[in-house]
Amino acid sequence: MNDPLTYTNQLIESFPSGVKSSEPIILLGDVAKIYQTAAGRFIALDGINLKIYSGEFVSIVGKSGSGKTTLINMLTGIDRPTSGEVFVNGSALHDMSEGEIAIWRGANLGVVFQFFQLLPTLTIIENVMLPMDMCNIYTGNQRQERARHLLHLVGLDGYDEQFPNRLSGGQQQSAAIARALANDPPILATDEPTGNLDSGAAENVLCLFDNLSKEGKTILMVTHDQDLASRAGRIIQIVDGVIANSF
Amino acid sequence: MAFGTRWIKIVKDVWSYRSRSILVILSIVVGVATVGMINNAGRIIQRDLYGEFRSGDPAHLQLYISPFQKELATSVKGMREVGEVEARRSLDASIQTKNSEWEDLDLYISPDVSDIKVNRFRLVSGIQKPGVREVLLERQSALELGIGVGDEITIKMPNDRLYLLRVVGIIHDVYIMPMAILGKATAYISMDTLVWLGERPYYNQLDIIAYGGVPDKDSALKLGALIRDRVIEPAGYMVYNIRIPGVGSNPGDHWGHNQIKGFLLILQIMGILAVFLSGGLVVNIVSAILTQQIKQIGIMRSFGAVRWQLAGMYLVKIIFLSLVGLVIALPLGLLGAWWLSEFAAGFLNFNVGIVDLPIKIILLQVALGLLMPVAIALFPVISGTRISVYDAIYQYGLSGDEGGWLNRLLAKIRQLSPTIALSLRNTFRKKVRLTFTLITLTLAGAMFISAFSTRASLTSQIKDIGRYSLFDAELSIPVGASRFTVEREALRIPDVTIAEGWAKSVGVLVGADGKDSAEFELVGLPYDSITIDPLMIDGNWLNDSGSQQMVINQDFLEDIPGIRVGDQVTIKVGDRKRSFEVVGVVSKHLSGPRVYMDNKSYDRLTGRQNQVDLVRVVVLAGKPSKHVVQDKISDLLKDRFENASLNTGSSTTQYQFLNYFSDVFNIILIVLVIMASILAIVGGLGLSGSMGMNVIERTREIGVLRAVGASNAVVRQVVVIEGIVVGLISWLLGAFVSAPSGWALASAVIFAVLKTQPRYEYSIAGMMVWLALVVLIGIFSSLAPAYNAARLRVRDVLDYE
Repeated sequence: MNDPLTYTNQLIESFPSGVKSSEPIILLGDVAKIYQTAAGRFIALDGINLKIYSGEFVSIVGKSGSGKTTLINMLTGIDRPTSGEVFVNGSALHDMSEGEIAIWRGANLGVVFQFFQLLPTLTIIENVMLPMDMCNIYTGNQRQERARHLLHLVGLDGYDEQFPNRLSGGQQQSAAIARALANDPPILATDEPTGNLDSGAAENVLCLFDNLSKEGKTILMVTHDQDLASRAGRIIQIVDGVIANSF
Repeated sequence: MAFGTRWIKIVKDVWSYRSRSILVILSIVVGVATVGMINNAGRIIQRDLYGEFRSGDPAHLQLYISPFQKELATSVKGMREVGEVEARRSLDASIQTKNSEWEDLDLYISPDVSDIKVNRFRLVSGIQKPGVREVLLERQSALELGIGVGDEITIKMPNDRLYLLRVVGIIHDVYIMPMAILGKATAYISMDTLVWLGERPYYNQLDIIAYGGVPDKDSALKLGALIRDRVIEPAGYMVYNIRIPGVGSNPGDHWGHNQIKGFLLILQIMGILAVFLSGGLVVNIVSAILTQQIKQIGIMRSFGAVRWQLAGMYLVKIIFLSLVGLVIALPLGLLGAWWLSEFAAGFLNFNVGIVDLPIKIILLQVALGLLMPVAIALFPVISGTRISVYDAIYQYGLSGDEGGWLNRLLAKIRQLSPTIALSLRNTFRKKVRLTFTLITLTLAGAMFISAFSTRASLTSQIKDIGRYSLFDAELSIPVGASRFTVEREALRIPDVTIAEGWAKSVGVLVGADGKDSAEFELVGLPYDSITIDPLMIDGNWLNDSGSQQMVINQDFLEDIPGIRVGDQVTIKVGDRKRSFEVVGVVSKHLSGPRVYMDNKSYDRLTGRQNQVDLVRVVVLAGKPSKHVVQDKISDLLKDRFENASLNTGSSTTQYQFLNYFSDVFNIILIVLVIMASILAIVGGLGLSGSMGMNVIERTREIGVLRAVGASNAVVRQVVVIEGIVVGLISWLLGAFVSAPSGWALASAVIFAVLKTQPRYEYSIAGMMVWLALVVLIGIFSSLAPAYNAARLRVRDVLDYE
């Protein structure tokens, strides 16, 4: 197995900024999500067709209740479509079981939540190492080194042994991003990543996404904020469960 | 190699959520230590008590005989059916305590106290062979009276004369009931000392060991009859009674064998129940742990953790906590076993040997403390780790559903305040969890009420037995005396208004095939006796119709089945026989098989005209006197008869007779209530765990409550009322379940002690005490979660992770 630092550098070299591969890394085919509630039928997503290419920085924007979170949940396998097909990095998520998706997700996807979701009893470095422990991609000795590198990448040098509740919101979100990158997934999916951050911290997070995109990672960012969305290379606007615009 | 991060998480979780970790450990400790304590104590008691008992050559039966010399024992020993014989003399006396009060004393004399062959006691201190004016004291008597070797004691003989004796030895006799139970001290003197005390030198009891043993009671009693017919009566002596030592014991068994067995069985049942309940508690708390970590489980699944990894993590956590619990429970159980054994030893007067922990009991505890928690935790762990990322992250904290048909039904109740309505509906939202909690609390309640019902049934049973002993004092007259003389002398005692002479013999029933049945006691009494109020099972009591009537008891029917009311039977006493009509059947009352007939019928059958063998006296018919009055009358009765040169045996009062059973039952009941209380604690812990889980799951709802203006008190009230409602539901269910469980427990206890079926009495008092307790449990179990809920700030709660 390669040394993690070397591997990351190779990754940067192999994907200069803005280059997309020819096949979409994410493909949604006529995806619909319908909820049956006591109040009746609710269509969260209606016939979504979407292609996202490797290395893109895509923001998915819409008002509250527009279906943007539901859409990103389809892409991450957190939720399942009522109908349609979801292909992510060559895997048909719509056909996979919950257990298969969990294994797949560990190697292919990093998820960053609005409320950070760091495990409170683990230190920052342990939070970052945990996904590596689950997926067993790196050896025991490599994990700590890689975790330190990732924390350095997100600007959290020296915070290894801190617990999450000792960090600011921005620092916690950075730690969550480091954790999402633990197994070096090609795709990073984030839902309102700056929703709980002040403008300074938000700016740091966005710069990080920019850098990662330049390194060849595919970044998906859900937001309700148009200004934030405009920082991405591509904006997908979703209204009432359908893609209204993609630019 | 680095220690996996997931295991670091588990270790840190154990410490971070230490209150839950401690609860899991405590649950395991309660169940495992209880089982270890009971099993090990039972083993130690049986090993040491029965071992000690068997090693001293216990008697298979005892014969009570008219005064005889030791040569009779030699003659009896000559029978090939007899293994060993010991002559003994027993008489009543009194011993003065350090407070100058008088305690009853049993004095025993053997031909050679240093060489006893049957029921051999052991020397504890001093010397074993007392000389003239010297005495050996039984160790428990010495302890209770505060007397040691070298001390002088004052004893009072039946003639009221006082004598000073020196204690030269303390001995340990496991063959007599200790002073703690009997209420009488026991001492041993030589025949020379007996003569010095003014008594005639004779023996009145034979302790017999059958050659080759006897398989059962019937064989032992048959042997006794054989000895009587072949040796004793031909030698010109009378046998008053043939009995097997103990209370319903088998020949050669410890006198309390059945009661101890019954008691240990009850403890075993309680121990098993404690294990079940602690298992339920483990499930409850593990569910709470997983509920608390639902979001974390979802997060871990979001970055690649699969179910078996997550389940493995939590199962390892359970194993770790189980191991900790086991490490605590093993020595605790051993300590408990030591305590219980010592308690039993103090009560039953035996020596506890090594308190060890055999491998069998260790393995049992390991199975219960390690395998059981892991096995039962599988269900919540598997279902908890099955949750999807979506449900864990998005469905947590605000439940979307309205709670099902029950909640819709509760919504129809309009008059309730919103707080109470919320509490009521919250109670039924998590039905599986509620079920688990209710099972734990209901079982605890059922056992608690059952313990009280057992007490009520025992009290009722004692009252039933007491119906056959409605006297203030009873005095036996071993060689018999004229009824008129006896009753006249008894009526001369101040305050005594009624005196009844009863006669007793041993009879057999002659079957249709001419064969004799097993022996039974035949009692002749006034048909209108006021000292007996028999509980009729069938038919009627005796009357003055003039016909030859008899009433039998249920013990009689067990020995000689097939007899019914209305049957004509032939009864034989010695060579004399007559035919009688069975007019009634009365309940068991610890007498053994017995037949009652009026005096005239008895006299005609036995040929003993107007002879009685005991007298019963009463001050006020239908109203037993206070026990000090009864004691005084008993003493006066004995003195009166001595002065009238009537040969007297032992005297007893109704209070003494019933008190013996009360003391034994009280010990059993104290232990039952302690065990039931432990179960109640386990139930309370279960409820506390559930309430904690409920609060965690409804954290966002609580935030909403606070956001719309609910004060701390209101938030706490919602939680506490829910706890009380759960408690009340469990009370209802427990009251229902306790009816059959109480019957089962009462039956087990009463049969073990009294060898009879219970007259079951459901305890309403127990039900009400449990009601009060369960409401308190509901309140206290909910207080901590309620307090935690009220402490949450709105902002924190609505941002809750």
